Amino acid sequence: MADVDITSQTMDGMGPHGTKVGLLRVLGPAHVWALGVGIVLVGEYMGWNFAVGKGGAYAALIACWFAGILYSCVAMIDSEVTSTVASAGGQYTQAKHIIGPLMAFNVGLYLVFAYTMLEAANAITAGYLFSVVASMTGHAAELDQRPFIILVIMFLAWLNYRGVLATLTFNLVITAVAFCAIIVLFLSTSGVLGGGIMEHAALFEGHELPYGWIGVLAAMHFGLWYYLGIEGTTQAAEEVRSPARALPFGTLAGIMTLLIAATLTWYVCSGILPWEYLGDGVDGAVAPLFDAARLSGSTALVWLLGFGTLFATLASANGCINDASRAWFAMGRDKYLPGWFGAVHPRYRTPYRAIVFLVPIALIFALGAPLDQVITFSILSGLLGYTFMPLNIIMFRRKWPLETIKRGYEHPFHPIPAITLLTLCGVTFFAVFLGYGTQLVAMIGFYIVVSLWFHFWRYRFVNRGAQFTMPWPKPRGY
Amino acid sequence: MARYQPPKQGKTSQLIDVVVLVVMTIGALFVPLWLNMAGAAKSVTNPATEATWEALGQNAAQAAKYEALGYTPETAHDLILARFDYGFSGMALLTMVAVILLYYFLILRFSEVEYREVISEKFGE
Amino acid sequence: MDLWIWLEYGAWGLSALLGLHMVFDWLRTDSTYSEEVLTSSREGEIEALAEQHKAGGAHHG
Repeated sequence: MADVDITSQTMDGMGPHGTKVGLLRVLGPAHVWALGVGIVLVGEYMGWNFAVGKGGAYAALIACWFAGILYSCVAMIDSEVTSTVASAGGQYTQAKHIIGPLMAFNVGLYLVFAYTMLEAANAITAGYLFSVVASMTGHAAELDQRPFIILVIMFLAWLNYRGVLATLTFNLVITAVAFCAIIVLFLSTSGVLGGGIMEHAALFEGHELPYGWIGVLAAMHFGLWYYLGIEGTTQAAEEVRSPARALPFGTLAGIMTLLIAATLTWYVCSGILPWEYLGDGVDGAVAPLFDAARLSGSTALVWLLGFGTLFATLASANGCINDASRAWFAMGRDKYLPGWFGAVHPRYRTPYRAIVFLVPIALIFALGAPLDQVITFSILSGLLGYTFMPLNIIMFRRKWPLETIKRGYEHPFHPIPAITLLTLCGVTFFAVFLGYGTQLVAMIGFYIVVSLWFHFWRYRFVNRGAQFTMPWPKPRGY
Repeated sequence: MARYQPPKQGKTSQLIDVVVLVVMTIGALFVPLWLNMAGAAKSVTNPATEATWEALGQNAAQAAKYEALGYTPETAHDLILARFDYGFSGMALLTMVAVILLYYFLILRFSEVEYREVISEKFGE
Repeated sequence: MDLWIWLEYGAWGLSALLGLHMVFDWLRTDSTYSEEVLTSSREGEIEALAEQHKAGGAHHG
């Protein structure tokens, strides 16, 4: 630290090593797992079942596994890149170093929107849960859900504001409970413990593929929902004690957890609930695991899965606030967004301005837009991000071949995962087109307009060479 | 090569940038909603002739589940028979493909230009 | 008035309290510290320090 001048007026001895104010390195691999799985697990409790509605129960299972392949590629590619680019902002910082500033700006926005929309969807679901509990406990009038939606967002933002360690430890606990609830439900309804109540054959009879094979394609749209958000683990990079090890470990453990949880969820729900009911996430099964527990006839399971659902929505919203604010902060720090956002709280060591700023944005979406639109907006932003990843890894390997930079993790069989991922993204674009073509075009139109705005206006405030911060050699071919 | 010195951005200008971004974001979500172009609604194209589980295409096991969930053949009618329409025009598909390709072409092109500048300033020429 | 009406008011109140606490702390922080200190975080900096620490050991200061 020879370059640090201890008499400097700008450094007040508050930060790490008594120098500047940065984010705090306090997290371990379990927190990374909790961040990744915590964001996603809610997808098992609500939302994935729209895939059943799109093509029937078998289509949802096929989509579940193909989306599983898609996300395994995402996790592998992401683990390799992030084990070398360990910085808040995750894929945004990766894109900045590997593809270029405009791509990075777009990726940063995908992240912020995917997470903020998901946070809004979670808050809406939590509000709905409160209204269900209210009517179950004998509240006669319709419950006003708004104060509960606002409270969820406010409380979690407040938790995030006060420090990352408490935030993600909280996430670890509630995510573990929600995951165990799925396992317990599976064990007690499948016949492993006691009598099983599964009736797959009878329930599927006559409804194997109600839409034929195009239904399987269409189901891919909501198939993503089983896993959406696992890539968020990289946002913790600047707060993990040993990123090169903890990030790949936490991410890969996370995707394995989710593959198990997703398959179990499908198995339990499709064996208990008829597909038309299961597939309608608005008028039918809003919270399918909870409905499955209700039909099991066990009060204990109803309570367990009720809490599981609530915890899953809270964990997800919590992780989303964490990730969206990291990405927003990282862009502010580089002046991709107004530099004002690049501030760190001197005491709590969190990107506090980004956290506070995103609260009203999340509230607008949670209170003002219908759930399936919010989910679709989130999925689309995620999908654009997954399409970026294969481009990213191909360029990364070309500009810096394996021998030029040491990676904490090298993913196998390159470029097969990249090509697989790109193909599956193409299929998913088609699936989204089948139901939400207008939103897709509107959304890409939005990204084209903001890209032009960035290239011709905003980029003038960005330092050119200084934004490349990794200690890497010069890329090949430049 | 001379280093690029970015101008310092004032508070007002920062605020305007944020407002512009927020307005564009909210526009992207709400404009399709206001224009009523959003979403894929399901509809019942083939209503059942009588209100029985058989007429709704449900076997005994399926009917038992619906009854356990508190439905009767009348209340479950729309839930069971509503279907999506997956018909689309080739023109619409081509438009979507074109828009996506245009988008990626645009960002990759501009990114490359900006990236070359970054690398040449960072590593010197 | 049943319990849930009270819970609704409670949720409004608690949300307002948490929101106000954040805004209050934010304004206080902004006025206590200079903008240079608050925005002194730099990408990759901690990384570089950690590497140096690992490599040199003795440089730690």
